[in-house]
Amino acid sequence: MSTSSQEASCAPAVSERRQSLWRGVLHTGEGRIGVSLGLLMFLVIVLGRFLAPDTAYDVATPGSGSSAAHWFGTDALGRDVLSRFLHGGTTVLLIPLVAVSLSLLIGGSLGLFAAYWGGWVDVMIAKLFDIVLTLPPLLIVLVIIGGLGASNTVLIITVALVYAPGLGRVVRGTAQQVIVQPYVLSAQARGERDLVIIFREVLPNVTGPALAEFGLRLTYGILFVATLSFLGLGVQPPAPDWGLMVAENRGLITVAPWGTMLPALGITLLAVALNLSADALSRVLAGDELSRLAVI
Amino acid sequence: MSAATTEAGATRRAGACAAPPQLSADGAALEVVDLSVGYYQKDGSVLRVAANVDLKLFPGQVLGLAGESGCGKSTAALAAVGYRHPGGVILSGRSMLGETDLLKMAPSALRLLWGGQVAYISQNAASALNPAMTIKRHFDEVLKRHAGMHGSDAAVRELELLTAVQLPDPAGSLLRYPHQLSGGQQQRVALAIAFACRPAVLILDEPTTGLDVTTQTYITALLQTLIEETQVAVMYVSHDLALLSTVSNDVAVMYAGEMVERGPVQAMVKTPLHPYTNALLRAVPSARARQSIAGIAGEPPVSVCDDACSFAPRCPHVEDRCRSEHPEMVQIEPLRTSRCFRTVELREELRIVVDIDRTPSSAAARADQTQAAHLLEVDDVSCFYGSRRRRFAAVQDVSFSLSDAEVLGIVGLSGSGKSTLLRAIVGILDDYTGTISLRGESLAHSAVKRPRPVRRQVQIVFQDPASSLNPRHTVNQIIARAVHLFREDVSRDKTADTVAELLESVKLSRSFLSRYPSELSGGQQQRVAIARAFAARPSLLLCDEVTSALDVSVAATIIELLRDLTSKSGTAVLFVSHDLAVVRTLADRAIVMRDGKVCEAGSTEQLFCAPQHPYTIELLSSIPDIADVRAGRRLQPGDAPVC
Repeated sequence: MSTSSQEASCAPAVSERRQSLWRGVLHTGEGRIGVSLGLLMFLVIVLGRFLAPDTAYDVATPGSGSSAAHWFGTDALGRDVLSRFLHGGTTVLLIPLVAVSLSLLIGGSLGLFAAYWGGWVDVMIAKLFDIVLTLPPLLIVLVIIGGLGASNTVLIITVALVYAPGLGRVVRGTAQQVIVQPYVLSAQARGERDLVIIFREVLPNVTGPALAEFGLRLTYGILFVATLSFLGLGVQPPAPDWGLMVAENRGLITVAPWGTMLPALGITLLAVALNLSADALSRVLAGDELSRLAVI
Repeated sequence: MSAATTEAGATRRAGACAAPPQLSADGAALEVVDLSVGYYQKDGSVLRVAANVDLKLFPGQVLGLAGESGCGKSTAALAAVGYRHPGGVILSGRSMLGETDLLKMAPSALRLLWGGQVAYISQNAASALNPAMTIKRHFDEVLKRHAGMHGSDAAVRELELLTAVQLPDPAGSLLRYPHQLSGGQQQRVALAIAFACRPAVLILDEPTTGLDVTTQTYITALLQTLIEETQVAVMYVSHDLALLSTVSNDVAVMYAGEMVERGPVQAMVKTPLHPYTNALLRAVPSARARQSIAGIAGEPPVSVCDDACSFAPRCPHVEDRCRSEHPEMVQIEPLRTSRCFRTVELREELRIVVDIDRTPSSAAARADQTQAAHLLEVDDVSCFYGSRRRRFAAVQDVSFSLSDAEVLGIVGLSGSGKSTLLRAIVGILDDYTGTISLRGESLAHSAVKRPRPVRRQVQIVFQDPASSLNPRHTVNQIIARAVHLFREDVSRDKTADTVAELLESVKLSRSFLSRYPSELSGGQQQRVAIARAFAARPSLLLCDEVTSALDVSVAATIIELLRDLTSKSGTAVLFVSHDLAVVRTLADRAIVMRDGKVCEAGSTEQLFCAPQHPYTIELLSSIPDIADVRAGRRLQPGDAPVC
């Protein structure tokens, strides 16, 4: 609106361009720390294996502490801890990632349909969520793994089942707020089909909160899978897995502490990185919500 | 109160409420001098949003603070009592409450003052009251902190206050929670709390917005009684000039953070001195006459202009000097000042001439010819909410018809079922009995079941423009969807051109295509919603309170636009609103609804000038109307309206 440079002092009313979520996350402190830490851990997990001095299974003197040959010592079987650490991150990240994505898909679509159709569909789905939520996760795991045996596939399905109701409830709750908005009513008045309304009008407005919840659940998922591996229910030996390594090496913690410390540190950093990123994401979303209110 | 006062005396602290109000030499309770307020921005610079604000509040007098949203009214009013918004900073000025400068006081001292000598009432009482606390605890807190009153003393005072604000069953209400009271009752409680410590200064920030018209009148009347009794000095912030003109003694108009005109209200509504005041007044519709209104194009700047007149870009009387020099406040008459270079030469031009719109509506002309075939026929319709077991009739046995190109207004308070009726017509509420037919053909209850050509003909625009557009879609996506669905004549590769044309028809440029709704102002959002509705080339447009969420000046531009578009295309309009003045301006005929039933129906002329039903009379006499202020008359609820 300003017609000349002389009007520089009175800023014309221009509403701010909506910033992308990604840039918003990087704008916050925890977002920057979380994302860069996450990136670092990702590089360690993906590229670490190429830098490993040995393979995950080479055997040397068992139970030795730090030395020039083995910077972080060896485990009870004499395998190099650093090499096993660099090889063993994949399962820690990948299993929870696939599992939680699966729960988002299952729980999310159930939640979306429950919210949109309401009535008895909603009651049934909500009750189903409640039932699964009342069961202790470890019990579910014991029953399923006890029945089907421990394998990565079973592990993924089990973890997905454990997290689906939580994600489903978040999606359902958000979608319930969205579907009463006039823009959805307006789509109904245009006579749009239900699926078009769900995917075109409702879904884009649910993804933000769902994504934040996904990040949080992924953190839990990583800890949960590591715990299961520690308990012997998850990844099976001799595979190098951080959770499993902690379990295998805890007997030697006084002699060769790195055997437990290094994988434990890896799990912690990964969890912290994801948690910070998820926090940043939900903060940006909340701010987005606020700025939208401010416009009104 | 005397026993309480002595007891309170022992525990009285600085600024406690029992202290006699101090006045300055000329009798002002609060004197604000040269107040400037800014906000820190992300890059660390300060954006000045209010500058050089001078005002005086006198005991028992109301100063109205007018202007569009974003002109710094609320910021200035709150800064005047020492409050800073988060990120806000007071750049200069004094605000003298007696001998003390509120702007120099420590936050702890200010907190003793707020709620005691200085009270504030916000727009939304529901969010000002804590939902987890009973009404009694709200009072206890204030009385204990500011008057040192406890136990039975406090209880006596609480009853006294609630009785003063005429709350039914004061004793019972004390034990209730805010959500157990109606909106009007909540605002009365907020009033009682504000008056609990006999404040010297009261800031009202749109205290009746969001309330029903009749409740609004009631609260305003109550407020006036309380002001007279307690002789509090009041600052009343509102964008509604019609309302301000009925409650204030003086009005100060703010634009871009500066005061542009100040003076007694009677003179201002007839002969405004500043072009901005003139523009604001010309945007105010009246229920007393079908008068032409004109909105103000464009938006106010967000910060103060130092080197030009801030209104220059929107001013019809602009000249070269306005763009390069900043005008000062000039005294024109003993009590009136204006910030305009051309005030004196424009005096006659700025005088408000009520322009009665006598153009016969196109519908009236056509109605005679096509008496036989109505566009829309609503026959004996009742609408229901709730499950089968607990069904609640929101609309009962409503019948009316609408011809092509006719504008029918539906007037009623919230809960009268007027919006529900619209939803049934457009097909998003399918639980109704009776028939709704379009061009003689009965409509299926749910929109999905109606054939596309039928759906195309009926379009709806909602009240809240922000939420009627999907926040994750661009303007282009929003309008293109409607074009794609309803315009078979437009091929896919022509869609973009059609969307741009539609945007142009609602006076938005192509640059809006890629924007998201959150990047638009309320008025622009509503234009997009209207463009989406017109994309279908409807023969019937349903408007659900389309101007209620907007500023008066923006609402006027939307009304102008609707008028323009519908008369060009011959679209019939069903215009639902609680604002009688808007309906008078726009509609050919009107229906008054109450509790789901039709009270009265007729031509607007007949309905507004010679109402028959007592409820219509009550509605018409209770709205503050600018025509009444100009004519110097004051209607009591129940008086017959004068045309």
